[in-house]
Amino acid sequence: MRVSSLHDKLAANGAVFGGRYGIEVVSGVAGLSTEYGYIRNGAGLTDFSFMQMYSIPEDAAVTVLDELFAGNIARVRFGRMLHTFLADDDGHLIADCYIANNDEEFIIVCESIVSDTALHEFFERKGAFKAGLKDITGEHVLLSVDGYQAWAVIKERFGVDTLGLPYLSIEVYQFNGVDVRLFRAGKTSEFGYLVMAPKEAGEGLFDALLASVRKHGGGLCGVSVHNDLRLEGRFFNIHAEGLSVRDPLCLGLQWMIDFDKEKFSGKEAVDKRREAGLAKKIIGIRSNAGPELFSVGSEIYNSGRPVATIEAACYSPTLDCRVGLALFPVDIAYSGLVFRLGSADGPAVATISMPPIMPRSLTVKLDEM
Amino acid sequence: MDYKENISMNQEYVIDGEMRKTIENRKAIIDTFKQELISRLNLPYKPQDLHEDISLLGAGLGLDSLDALEIVVCVENSFGVKIPDSNISVLRSINTIVDFVISEKAQKGEQQ
Repeated sequence: MRVSSLHDKLAANGAVFGGRYGIEVVSGVAGLSTEYGYIRNGAGLTDFSFMQMYSIPEDAAVTVLDELFAGNIARVRFGRMLHTFLADDDGHLIADCYIANNDEEFIIVCESIVSDTALHEFFERKGAFKAGLKDITGEHVLLSVDGYQAWAVIKERFGVDTLGLPYLSIEVYQFNGVDVRLFRAGKTSEFGYLVMAPKEAGEGLFDALLASVRKHGGGLCGVSVHNDLRLEGRFFNIHAEGLSVRDPLCLGLQWMIDFDKEKFSGKEAVDKRREAGLAKKIIGIRSNAGPELFSVGSEIYNSGRPVATIEAACYSPTLDCRVGLALFPVDIAYSGLVFRLGSADGPAVATISMPPIMPRSLTVKLDEM
Repeated sequence: MDYKENISMNQEYVIDGEMRKTIENRKAIIDTFKQELISRLNLPYKPQDLHEDISLLGAGLGLDSLDALEIVVCVENSFGVKIPDSNISVLRSINTIVDFVISEKAQKGEQQ
């Protein structure tokens, strides 16, 4: 199992570990409710070093990456990032990715549902390493700072000009004399940043960021709370609905695809399914039912028959009910309908418009500070 | 690896009158709005490519503040309802805009 170079530091701070695809992750630290509060009201620090990281020289990047990823790499301007995905030859999701244009290099950060070895073999098979792609996962740590006050943490560490970074951008800053790459990203619907640093600077950076998030009413978090925050904010989660559905079209990820591109991995299959039209798609649901009924795999009934299945579920502290995503036939995949959960006469479950909450961060204008 | 195929469940289900009415009313607004959005913002998508929950600003479609202004005008012209300047929450997704339009039309007593 691949273990984060921050493992001992994380363990000393109370981290509870789990594993995904042969990679260790921090599942939780202070409990879901506490960590939720950190991010919605203050700031949370999470080790995202489980993600797979790659770099490729700028002169080779556009050609190589454009033939692999669904988005249009050629349109990623200097200092900006693209949020897109990687699919297999059948057009099924492998990884949810950020691709950043950092001047002389492009950086690829993947959150995948395959092991390091499988992803490596995929890129190998596609000839990406021969063309200049380099796996930099083992040489770096990746820390995620998220929350209503995350901007203040980042400003404190890297300076006031970080306030001007637009969403989906990359910039290089110094930390203790070492270059670190700062990505403005995040999937919690609050402010979010990823900080990529050389492994040698990882522990110092971790300590500094943890001190800052604590100062701003936050603390260390695990990935479980991120699963819930993504769902509440209707950010795509490859580890939840992405893993079970895998079809980017049913998942509503068309916005990550440049359909005019001549080639990307899985394009033929995706185009074919797009041409045929969708039979099912994923939409939001909520219910006052408990987790024993409202959970992944539960069936949703209409007029006595099962019509949909829950693909992602969590308790929403903001809404004080359970929310989720379910895969419905397209002709009834509309918000504002009421169905039954678990059986023909089960409790009510309503289809809802997503995202169902209004995050506080949306009311803050960093560029006006 | 298991996954859910994009194929029909091949089972019959009943859409009762009230549900059908809700769907038809919502679908009409969605269809109109998507067409207008694609046309006004010159988006490289077909209407069926735009999931109704997709985030419009920032993540998702990644529209900017000028685009947001265009959306406000688009909603006003297409449905005769005005999104207040202060109500940024309406612009979170196509679905939240449609909810707002339905709610405003209901308040005006227009036929649903």
